[in-house]
Amino acid sequence: MAGVREQDQYMPIANVIRIMRRILPSHAKISDDAKETIQECVSEYISFITSEANERCQKEQRKTVTAEDLLWAMGKLGFDDYVNPLAFYLQRYRESEGEPASVRRTSSRALPHALPLSMLQQQQHPFSSAMPASNNDNNFYGVGYGFDFDQGFYRDGVGDGGDASSSAAFVPSFDHFPHLKRDNNNM
Amino acid sequence: MRQAGAYSNLLCGGISGRTGPHSLPLARIKKIMKNSSEDVKMISGVAPIVFSKACELFIEELTRRSWIMAIDGKRRTLNKEDIASAVIATDIFDFLITLVSNSDATDANNTVIQMETI
Repeated sequence: MAGVREQDQYMPIANVIRIMRRILPSHAKISDDAKETIQECVSEYISFITSEANERCQKEQRKTVTAEDLLWAMGKLGFDDYVNPLAFYLQRYRESEGEPASVRRTSSRALPHALPLSMLQQQQHPFSSAMPASNNDNNFYGVGYGFDFDQGFYRDGVGDGGDASSSAAFVPSFDHFPHLKRDNNNM
Repeated sequence: MRQAGAYSNLLCGGISGRTGPHSLPLARIKKIMKNSSEDVKMISGVAPIVFSKACELFIEELTRRSWIMAIDGKRRTLNKEDIASAVIATDIFDFLITLVSNSDATDANNTVIQMETI
């Protein structure tokens, strides 16, 4: 008899199936073992990325795995296509959390490699034009990236492209969003 | 191809989904992150949120690639072999090779053990 699958080490199967259904045509069927395999793959993906991100934290003698570490790890491990969508997702998440616009808007430069949504809607391949030719540098998504997810996501005032082409990043040294920080130390 | 899928989700308001803000449970994600290695100490608040979206992208990509294999086999049912084929065909999915081939090996081993104890 097969052993019991510990469900709490996987994403709930209903959620997994729902996401799969977005991709599959309506007539497609999914075998049970396929559903379970995808469930297992997701957990493996989380572990894979987290381990790499955690290694970087340890090398830099930091205790907390941040969103930026995760994005760096994804870039390093070949999932760089996910990075920009995730950056925007996080930005919208923060906005939907109700940060006052005055807090979000600062005098810092716009994010160098992430395009404003309006530009994305015009472009066919936003990534290929935004991404630099070579990103083999381990620190590509590090300090030079221009934002810190856990401090906040900075950009110029609305409608103002600002120094969008500038590649020198400004990482603020003060924390705009102490009220937004979850239990960073207690997770 | 991958990028288009990711963006259409974003532009169509992927954040506030029907099932609440995140379609994958954050507490479960955090648990899996902690289990990934002995020395994961602390995890920032937004990290599981990044994963809730990243896992969606991952599932979508793996599903898309697996479905292509099913179509190649002229089938309408996505099965485990299709996933294994997609994993083998995709470089960035190399970390999954053991997992998709292990399951078969494990089942075979269990069967052998059961036969021996009978």
